[in-house]
Amino acid sequence: MMSNLASEHSNPPWREDGELEALTFDIAGETFALEAAIVREILDLLPETAVPGARAFVGSVVNFRGKVIPLADIRLAFGMPSAEVTIDSRIVVVEVDIEGTPTLVGLRTDKVTEVLTLKKSDSEPPPRVGMRWPTELIECLIKRGSSVIIFPDLKAIFAANSRKPAAEAEVIRHPKS
Amino acid sequence: MSTIDPLDIFRAEAAELLEQIEQGLLDLEHRLDDRALIDSVFRGLHTLKGSGAMFGFDALAAFTHHCETAFDRVRKGLAPATTDLVMAVLAARDHMRALVEDPAGDYGATGAALLKQLQDAVDGGSGRTEPTAAIDQPETIPAAGAVASTAGDAADKSQMRRWRIRFSLPPDTLFNGTNPLALLDEMRDLGDAEIQVDTSNVPPLDAIKPTDLYLSWVVMLTTDRPRADIEDVFIFVMDEMSLNIEELGPFDPAEPILAWTPAEAVATPAVAAGRMAEPALPPATHAAEKPVHAATGTSQRSEVADSMARRKAESVRVPAERLDELMDRVGELVIAQSRLTQIAASSLDAQLRTVSEEMERLCSELRTTMMVLRMVPVGTLFERFRRLVHDLQRDTGKTIELVTAGETTEMDKTVIERLADPLVHLVRNAADHGLESPEGRHAAGKSEIGRVTLSARQVGGEVIVTIADDGRGIDRDKIRAKAESSGLIPVGAVMSDQEVLQLILQPGFSTAATVTNLSGRGVGMDVVKKTIDSLRGTIDISTRLGEGTTIALRIPLTLAIIDGLLVRVGKGRYVIPLPAVEECLELSLEEDLRSRGRSFLSLRGSLVPFIRLREIFSTGSKPDPYQKIVVVSTGEDRVGLVVDQIIGDHQTVIKSMSKLHDDVSTFSGATILGDGGVALILDVANLVAAGREQEAQLRATA
Amino acid sequence: MTAQILTVDDSASVRMTTRMALTRAGFSVVEAVDGVDGLTKAKTKRFDAIITDLNMPNMDGLKMIEEMRRLPNQLGVPILFLTTESDAGLKTRAKSAGATAWLTKPFEPDQLVKLVTRVLAR
Repeated sequence: MMSNLASEHSNPPWREDGELEALTFDIAGETFALEAAIVREILDLLPETAVPGARAFVGSVVNFRGKVIPLADIRLAFGMPSAEVTIDSRIVVVEVDIEGTPTLVGLRTDKVTEVLTLKKSDSEPPPRVGMRWPTELIECLIKRGSSVIIFPDLKAIFAANSRKPAAEAEVIRHPKS
Repeated sequence: MSTIDPLDIFRAEAAELLEQIEQGLLDLEHRLDDRALIDSVFRGLHTLKGSGAMFGFDALAAFTHHCETAFDRVRKGLAPATTDLVMAVLAARDHMRALVEDPAGDYGATGAALLKQLQDAVDGGSGRTEPTAAIDQPETIPAAGAVASTAGDAADKSQMRRWRIRFSLPPDTLFNGTNPLALLDEMRDLGDAEIQVDTSNVPPLDAIKPTDLYLSWVVMLTTDRPRADIEDVFIFVMDEMSLNIEELGPFDPAEPILAWTPAEAVATPAVAAGRMAEPALPPATHAAEKPVHAATGTSQRSEVADSMARRKAESVRVPAERLDELMDRVGELVIAQSRLTQIAASSLDAQLRTVSEEMERLCSELRTTMMVLRMVPVGTLFERFRRLVHDLQRDTGKTIELVTAGETTEMDKTVIERLADPLVHLVRNAADHGLESPEGRHAAGKSEIGRVTLSARQVGGEVIVTIADDGRGIDRDKIRAKAESSGLIPVGAVMSDQEVLQLILQPGFSTAATVTNLSGRGVGMDVVKKTIDSLRGTIDISTRLGEGTTIALRIPLTLAIIDGLLVRVGKGRYVIPLPAVEECLELSLEEDLRSRGRSFLSLRGSLVPFIRLREIFSTGSKPDPYQKIVVVSTGEDRVGLVVDQIIGDHQTVIKSMSKLHDDVSTFSGATILGDGGVALILDVANLVAAGREQEAQLRATA
Repeated sequence: MTAQILTVDDSASVRMTTRMALTRAGFSVVEAVDGVDGLTKAKTKRFDAIITDLNMPNMDGLKMIEEMRRLPNQLGVPILFLTTESDAGLKTRAKSAGATAWLTKPFEPDQLVKLVTRVLAR
């Protein structure tokens, strides 16, 4: 009676009343939203440590209250160039499930805007064409006035990028003479 | 948001509970009056039943219920713990396990037979013929939420009725988390509700306790729902409150809904309040006293229990995850401390420096204490093997004596947990393959009782866990033949005895002529090796034909902290585990230039491959003029790691990397440095393997 | 913001079920593994509701509820307990200790969500 719980969950996890508390933030001029329930903390930028050989979109780690957590860049996951940091740049720490392990991940954002109540009735699936973001990494779009909020599919983002990088094979190579 | 199946968690949990129950029972056999053991067994059974029912393991829940009930009686002092009872529940434990693994399985009369054994034990123990005292059917009471949905059928649904509901709640209602407004809302949900509040008991302002409730209410409700639904609104406060539900008769639609209001409200408020308060007040006072009385009783009871517990147990049980939290905090403290040390070192303030030094000492002691807290005696692990050997005797038909030594040797709890599976396999192997049959032993002039010895001792920073048997020993020639025939080694390869023996750790290697029931199960030797490798341990095998085999596992004391060498490559800082470091050399600029194009270093006559970390890390920076080579090794193989700078020794609290970095095999973890920055820990085994490959490639091209 | 619920249970599977049911219903869930752990967590922050098992090692649910009711920061917080006993005595004792409501195991996730929604102030 419980076993179907995991598969049956909907995303975004709308409440019974069809609403959802969400944190919104900006990346590359677009507004994104994630359910507030998974947000652990919003941080100013931290010193980063590069992880050589890691996939570019999770290319570094940070010290988050004594824990070493990966820092993910949605831009790179979406195949866009990385951007300079600004005074508004923030790290949003979320807890996500990665292969069955609850994992803290920092997300690089250009700016954190607000906590909103989103309505399921305002949401629609991403259009097949005309998006500059890969649609398979997007859960849905939510209309809000004249603007559109993107609800990314973190699970898909972390999974889609879990292919072993080609770089791993060449981590050890002969120095070129 | 999660892909974990709660069923899997339940199964894992059930396995742990069964182990706890079993261990408790085995111990209880020797100490029948040990209350702590009785409680532990009861709690295990209780949780197994409760969680089992939660996850639809009804057969398990029903069966376990009987065992639980029997132990509940013992716990409450209604019946003594007897050897028969312990044996009965011990016998039942395999059945419970089966019910977890295959709830739908056909177990024939097994369950009934076990219950009969249990019943006999209960009857014998209580000395009374009270056959149904323990073995009754599990009582099921509907969950609170279900009341509302089922009760609806009781009354005629279509009929609208009018009700007058008077209620008052005890003063501590708000304090205990009940919101009376929510109760009123629930009544509004039932139908049309007119609500009047009685404020007559509100004291003068200066006598008001802000957390107390002084109000009571009268609700006129028109609804088609039955009385049970109205009562259900108050289900959680029913016992403490005063509630009066009066049916005023069928609702007449012709009558205006508010018709009653003038009649009820016609009196002046004071009179009305007095009239309403009268029946409500005495029960309210009564209700207020009752909980206080009961609460006193409870706290007395728990005080008695506390002092009993104090006398019984000299130790405190702490969940491992809380220890991990504490470990994290200590790690942070150490980091803050080293920042303080840096500041103090550059300060002229003598007082600051004294305080900083004092803090440093305390931090270091705290860390040592912390490490000790995580240590548990290996005896906890060894105890599990009594049952295993007991079962093995039954399965193999051999008589086996298990000897344990060094149970008080302590190791990190995580290490001990991860050692369990490999040890089970090794003990099985010893009993199954190592020991001869009784006839075989007799023929060889040995005692018919085979002996398996499990022992542990600490040597420096390592614990050596040994599994020894006095059986037939391992025939090296057979291993060799087998390895040659399966292509593991070239025919006639020159190998040391130890190298030959180590072949049994290779994946897929098995010398058993016939794969028995026992060896077919569980992990293979290669998995044993894998686990020991992951604990950064090693396996030594020694054997004498006809005399027996000894397998020694050398395991570092702890996983949480290692001594490391902190180095810099480009801008990044990295930690190399110190035990792997053999020596540090300087790589002068000219040597560097000379060695371009080949990556070998001549070290006392032998060639050692080396790896320029700057290149594989793509630092993009210029090398320091005096680079260093850190030579690391894993046993036989060595590799030199070229770094820009050696910063120094560094005691490292290991943090694991997240799953998102699973694909990065160059690092085994990370650590936090004194300045709050992160340094990655190099995976030496991986780098050495890379060096070996490099060497092979060079040989191939040479 | 999201209502925060503390769930105290020594059974990982029950905690998991509770967490999944409540998270899906839009609550945020903090877990504790026994009475001592639950009390420690209750000391550090205020929760919107607390759900606890009664039968636990280290500190049982009754004792924990009593202690929690003494914490100024959990004043008036609904405390729900889970019970497998049909034993009315235990229920009375839990209520006396300061519990708000209860749910009988086994329960369906929806029942839990319903109950939590019910006891939370509207």
